[in-house]
Parts: sequence; structure tokens; C-alpha cells
Amino acid sequence: MSMKRHVAVALLAIGVGSTLHAADMNKVLHDSFIAPETGFDPAKVSDVYSSSVNENLFDPLLTYDYLARPAKLIPNTVTAMPDISADGKTVTMRIKPGIYFAPDPAFKGKKRELTAADYVYSFKRVADPLVGSPSSYLVRGKFVGLDELVAKAKGGRLDYDTPIEGLKALDRYTLQMKLVEPTPGLKYMLAMPHLSAVAREVIEAYGTNTNAHPVGTGPYMLAQWKPGTHISLVANPNFRKVVFNYTDNTTPVAHRVASEMNGKLMPQIGRIEISVIQEEQPRWLAFRSGQLDLVTVPQPAVRRALILDPKNPWRVALKPELKNKGVQFSRYLESEVTFYPFNMKHPVIGGLSKERIALRRAIAMSFNTRETISDIRRNQAVQVQSLIPANVAGHNPGMRVRHPYDPALANALLDRVGYRIGADGYRTQPDGKPLVIDFVTGPTAIDKQWNEYWQKAFDLIKIRVNFRVMQWNEQQKVIRECSYGMAGGAWLADYPDGDNFVMLLYGKNVGDSNYACYQSPRYDKLYEASQRLPDGPERDKLFDQMDLVASGETPWVYGDTRFKNYLSQRWVRGFVPHPVFNVAWRFIDIQK
Amino acid sequence: MSAYIIRRLLQMIPTLLGVMLLVFTLFTLVGGDPSYILAGKHLTADVLANIRAQLGLDKSLPEQFMIFVRQVLTLDFGTSWATQQPVSDIITSRIGPSLTLTGSLLVVDLLVAIPLAATVAYFRGGLTDRIVTIACTVAMSISALVYIIAGQYFLAYKLELFPVRGWSDSFLVNLLVYVPLPLLMGLMVSLGPDIRFYRSFFLEEMNHDYVRTARAKGLSERKVMLKHVLRNAMIPVVTTVMMSLPFMMIGALVLENFYGIPGMGNEVVLAVNKSDFPVIKAVTIYIAIATMVFNLLADLVYKLIDPRVQLK
Repeated sequence: MSMKRHVAVALLAIGVGSTLHAADMNKVLHDSFIAPETGFDPAKVSDVYSSSVNENLFDPLLTYDYLARPAKLIPNTVTAMPDISADGKTVTMRIKPGIYFAPDPAFKGKKRELTAADYVYSFKRVADPLVGSPSSYLVRGKFVGLDELVAKAKGGRLDYDTPIEGLKALDRYTLQMKLVEPTPGLKYMLAMPHLSAVAREVIEAYGTNTNAHPVGTGPYMLAQWKPGTHISLVANPNFRKVVFNYTDNTTPVAHRVASEMNGKLMPQIGRIEISVIQEEQPRWLAFRSGQLDLVTVPQPAVRRALILDPKNPWRVALKPELKNKGVQFSRYLESEVTFYPFNMKHPVIGGLSKERIALRRAIAMSFNTRETISDIRRNQAVQVQSLIPANVAGHNPGMRVRHPYDPALANALLDRVGYRIGADGYRTQPDGKPLVIDFVTGPTAIDKQWNEYWQKAFDLIKIRVNFRVMQWNEQQKVIRECSYGMAGGAWLADYPDGDNFVMLLYGKNVGDSNYACYQSPRYDKLYEASQRLPDGPERDKLFDQMDLVASGETPWVYGDTRFKNYLSQRWVRGFVPHPVFNVAWRFIDIQK
Repeated sequence: MSAYIIRRLLQMIPTLLGVMLLVFTLFTLVGGDPSYILAGKHLTADVLANIRAQLGLDKSLPEQFMIFVRQVLTLDFGTSWATQQPVSDIITSRIGPSLTLTGSLLVVDLLVAIPLAATVAYFRGGLTDRIVTIACTVAMSISALVYIIAGQYFLAYKLELFPVRGWSDSFLVNLLVYVPLPLLMGLMVSLGPDIRFYRSFFLEEMNHDYVRTARAKGLSERKVMLKHVLRNAMIPVVTTVMMSLPFMMIGALVLENFYGIPGMGNEVVLAVNKSDFPVIKAVTIYIAIATMVFNLLADLVYKLIDPRVQLK
């Protein structure tokens, strides 16, 4: 599909600098989170719910077009996309003049303009050891001089006033970044809320409690926060003038959104009220009774809300009783993969020998993903076919899982490589030692449900399994320490680029995001080559080869990718799920 | 009396120390490492070390325990590891909604359960007794979750008699609008066992010789029941109520979760799930202190109810 068919520019800033309230303060949107947030300091939080709020409070340099699919980066607080030098190591951007922070006592009654220096400070802050940012991976090792500055801090406060080569404000509005090596994925990182601009005087004014005092340049500001229960946002009176001007009319959804929103100012809704509702029934009933304007259909309500085709998860429609009430239905396949990593360093299941590879392939072939999609996911997921899921740059729709469900073949494979069935009816290792798979799992009811299907899989190939139950943080610990046999994992894209998925098996990421503790020279070589290439067919070819290497050596059993089903009330305008944004509050309107 | 109170207050010190030691040991042994939650998806040794240093987990166990002791002495438990908000602020904001629900539940429960228990005990073996006892048994055999889910679905969603869920900043609005449904569901759960429990106290008192004597002396039934039986039966009732008071602080988790009440129950579960030790420490210590104080108060109330009780 040609790029011209997509939006040229979804949001056109036709003028900045004026202060006006675009939003109607009488319009209130009610939404919910299914789990509690942790705070609103973009450097300190990494959970989806906190980031959902931060998307609306803060501004990263780049953002995404609301309607373009696959997701497309566009300038946010900068005048144009990054200017990258020929060697790929110098990135220059110009901040739009006339962007202001939300009012806060820390500014002592003055309007505070966003400058390039704010981004320099904010990026350094993510690396500050005292901040302890879970997003420090975004900046550490990337900008010239930053790691040295961090080392100088010796675990104490970073010296923000020491200039570094890698992050410079050339003038009030010009930001220059010098990279240690070319980083094609940097543009995606510059659109993440963790790298949004904060004002130094605000951070210093609120000391250690910056989580409760977020002050950004985004369309909303925090009005009230009751941790874990309720969050209120109000429109930021200092927000720049942004007019919705969607030019893509090529799809019915784009046409609808354009007709509902074009010509209006961002944001339209004066107040956003977010409740944390962890239980599914109250969340569903609150939506049905009109107390919530938006909801993702909870699993137990899927069959009550949607007409499903049991043979085809892609075919789904809203039930007439909801449709007749004007409820709007939108659906999106998450940019995620779920998987079951094998610990490649494990003495029984790990390694790259012929027998161990056969063992892992046999286990992969014994697990019936289609069955779990039907029974557990209620047909609201599709089987993962490759490392990189759909809607992510580098995804190859032609890739197919190489070890599909086939217990007979799995048994034959195990027989052939010497995993013989003993007198007790279970297989032993080729050297005659007992074979028991150490499977790390959680204590919840849903964990137990998954374990039943895994037990069934292991029974089919006559292998003993021991489910080791532990809390989530303990699971993370044993996975990161490579002291487990098998486990469950899921990865939701940080940004919509294949790099964010292929890195999950890169050898140097063991102890970090490489849950499988997989170190394959062949894979690592391909990965390192891919790092030097921009998004394009050449890099995609490398991604495919990495996929084939990984499928062959089988560090994972592929799981599924879930659909997210959204319902919005009939009075909600302009809503469409976005592959990267967690919430669409700033893009929508309500007309009761 | 004052010597007794002072002695009891002094006894609280070693008890509290024991509680602190137990909480600290349990958390250290089985509490889990919160740094793995706080570090997010991209966990590196550096990030983990930074977080551990900031939480004070890199300090030796005796040092960590001494910090805990200091926190208890100053009643300043620092900030939550999960949200970095002051623990005192979290507890202050959460305890109000919990007490609004559990307090009103306790009052209504007592007002309904005690007269009903006394009535059915008085008519022991009669039709009233049998009907109420069977109703209580049936009510007790249904899971609390069924009441909560069904109540929300039928009374709030289908019949629209109550809001499905919610909470406001106004005490009056909460009491009149948002509390009634969870209160009703709480009563459905608690009335059955409470009526049966209190009934047994009344029956025990009614079978004592002094009641027979009072009747033989020609005292009216009203006087026998209200002046003699009720007063003596109130001692175990007071014990039960006093013992339950500290736990009102931690709210009613399921009710809070389903009806959107931002109370302590929810906070405690979040704290446990996230290994948020400062919040766990604060809640445990406050409950331990409240338990000891209410125990002492219960003893003093015994004396008020029955002057024959000797406080030693």
C-alpha cells in the first residue's frame, strides 16, 4: 500500500503559541484500568497503566499518526523528523517554539516554555542511578559520554550540569544527539513516553515525590490521584493549538474518524476520570449501565457481547442487543507474542546438542495451541507463527511455525534420539537418568488452567513435569538468573519495530529480556548485522533468517497473540484502537 | 484500675517487639524481592542494584530491622515502594472508606443480630426459632461471592436500585448512595453466623439458675430478659465485637473490589502482591496496636457491664 494512501499528516499544528481551552470542561470521559498504576514520573514508571496516563500529560519528541496502519511516526514537539548524519551517528532536531508546560507552582506564576535543554535534562535523568529508571536501557550505551557521566556519579546523583557530547542543546530550540553507534531503532524510542520532557525546576521542587506531581506539555494535567483507585485529569490550559485534520479517507474507519473530528481542537474532553476496576463483572456492568464510556470486553463477557466464529478467530461481530443501543465495536490484534521459554542453560533441557534440540521440538509439538486458544482465550487469539508479530515492522506474514502440533511425530522423534520409555511408563534421558521438566508457574486460577493443558502435553509424550509454583516476582528472578527449566512469557511491543522482538533472543540480553538464556553464535551474528540496517527489505531478510535459526534450535514454544476487543458508548466520537498508544483520550470527543 | 491499665500498656511493648520480629522475619523469608517488580521488563544488574540500594535492601538484615524499629517508634513508615507515596498518606486516604463500610456494617449487624438472637433464643424450639435458624443455616451455606456478584447484577444493574459501583469525596453521598448495596450484601454474609452465635450466648444465660430464681421471685419477663440475661450475655458479645474492631481497619476486600470502594482491603492485597514492605509493615503494626488497645478496652467494658468482674 502506498504511503500516499495513508495520512499525509494526521494532526496539523496550524498555529502555536496561543493559550486557549480547546476542551469543553463539561465533557467528562469515564474510563477504567484493570490494574493499578504506580505513578506519573515518566522516568520512574514502566507499567502500561501509568504510561497510559503519561501519554496524555507529557510530550516525547516524536509521536504516531493516529490513523495510519501500520503505525507511522510523525513529529510531535519537533518541526520535522530527525535529521540524521550520513554516518548515522548525529541526530539533530528542532523543537517547535511556543510549547508550554502545564501551570505549576514550581514555575512561580510564569509560563514556562519547552526548550531543547529540557530534553537533554530528561534524557540524562533516565540514566541517573538515583532515579533508578526501569527505562535506563533506552539511553545507557547510546549517547556519547553519558555512560561515563553515570560512572562518575558512582551510584550517587548525576551531575546534570556537566555537558556531554552525546546530548546537547545547540541553542534554545535545537537538540543534537551524538550516538555511540548508528541506532536505527532510536526514532521509536524517541516516541516513548519515558523519554518525554520534564522541567528540571519541577523535578527539583518535588524531590522524591515526582510520581505525584507530573508536569508536562501534553493536552492534560493531573487533577487528582488516589493511588490504585482513581485518577482525574483535566485539560491543560497551556496546551498548544492542535487541530484535527485527518486527510485519509481510504478506509471506513478513517472516514468515520475524520468526519467526526476534523476541524476540532485537541483535546475536546475537559475531564478524564479513570477508575481502577480489577474485577471483570463490575467493569462490564459499569459499561453496560453507562458509568463507563469505554471498555475492553472482559474475557467472561466475550460470548455475551460478541458473535464468534469458532473456526475463525478473525470473524467476529457485535451482538445485536448492544448494536441496537448504539454501542460501537473496534478490534485490534495486539503487538505481542506469548511464548514458553526453555532455559537453554539447563542441564536437562538446554544446550544445542541434537538430543536436546529434539527434546525441545518434541515438547513444542505436543502442546496444542489451537485448543488453548479455543478453550482459554475463547477464540480471541491467533497462533504465533514467527518471532515478530503482525502490525510490527519486519513481520513476515509468510512465516509459519516449524513445529506444529503433532504428538505422534513428537514421540517418534524422542524415540529416535534415545529418550526411551522406562518401566514406569515415562521417558528417561538418553543416558538413562530420570527426565523431569522443571516448569515454573504462578499460583492463580488461570495459571492452573494453563498447567492442565501443559500436563496433557507432557502426558502425550510420556515426560514427567514438575510445576514449581511461585509469585510473579520470584518467577522473574529465577528466569533472569537462568535457574529454571521452562516458564511462561509474554512480550508486548515497546515500539512497533521487529528489533524489539528479535532482541529477546540476543545472547547479550541474557539476564535482561532474553528469558530463554539463549546464546547462539549464528543468531547473534545475524542480530548484530540487523542492528546496522534501517527498516527495509534487507533487514527483513535477516529477521527471517533469525527466525529460522531460532525455530531450528527451539529456545521457545510459540504461544499466541491476543485480540483486544473495545466497546465504546454511542456518544463517543473519533475512537479507534491504536497499535502503540495505550489510550485514545486526547483524540476523541463525546457528544451526548 | 490505673495500675492495671499501666501494667497492660507496659505489656504491649514486648508484644509489639515480637510482632515486629515476626513480620520482619516472614517478609525476609517469604516476602519476595520487590526489585524484580519495580525494575520493569528491561531488567539489568545495574538497574536491579540501583533499586535495591534505594529501597535499602542492600543493607544488612540487622540494619534493616533497626530501621523498622525506628519507623515503629516514630510511626513514620516512609514511602511505598510501589508508588513512592508516603505510607501515612496512603493509610489516611484508605482507612476512611473502609471504616465507612465496615463501621456501618458492624452497627447495622449488631442492631439486627442482637435483638433477633435474643428473640429466637427466647422462643427457643418454637416456629420462630426454627424458621430463623434454618434461614441462618441456608444463608451461611451460600458463598459470600455469590451474594456480592448476584446482588450487584440484579439489584444494581437489572433493577437499578443502587449504583453498580462507585465512591465520592462526600461522606454523606457515600453513606447514602454507595454504601447501602455493599452493606446489604455484607449483612447477608454476616447476619447468619452472627445471629446463631449470639443466640447461643443468650441461651446459655437463660439456662442459668439465677434466671430461674428471678422468674420464681416473680420478676416480669421483660425485666428478666433485659436486666439480667441481656447484661450477662453482652460480655461475650462485647468480646467478639472488640476483637473484630481492629480488623475493621483492613476493610472488606471483596466488597471493596466489586463495589469500587477505595479502602484498605484493596491496598493490603496490592501491597502483598507487590511486596510493598513499608505498607505491609505499617498495616501490621497498626493492627497489632489496635488489637492490644481494644483488648484492654474490652476488659474495661466488662467491668462497666458487670461490676463483679475483677481487673487484676
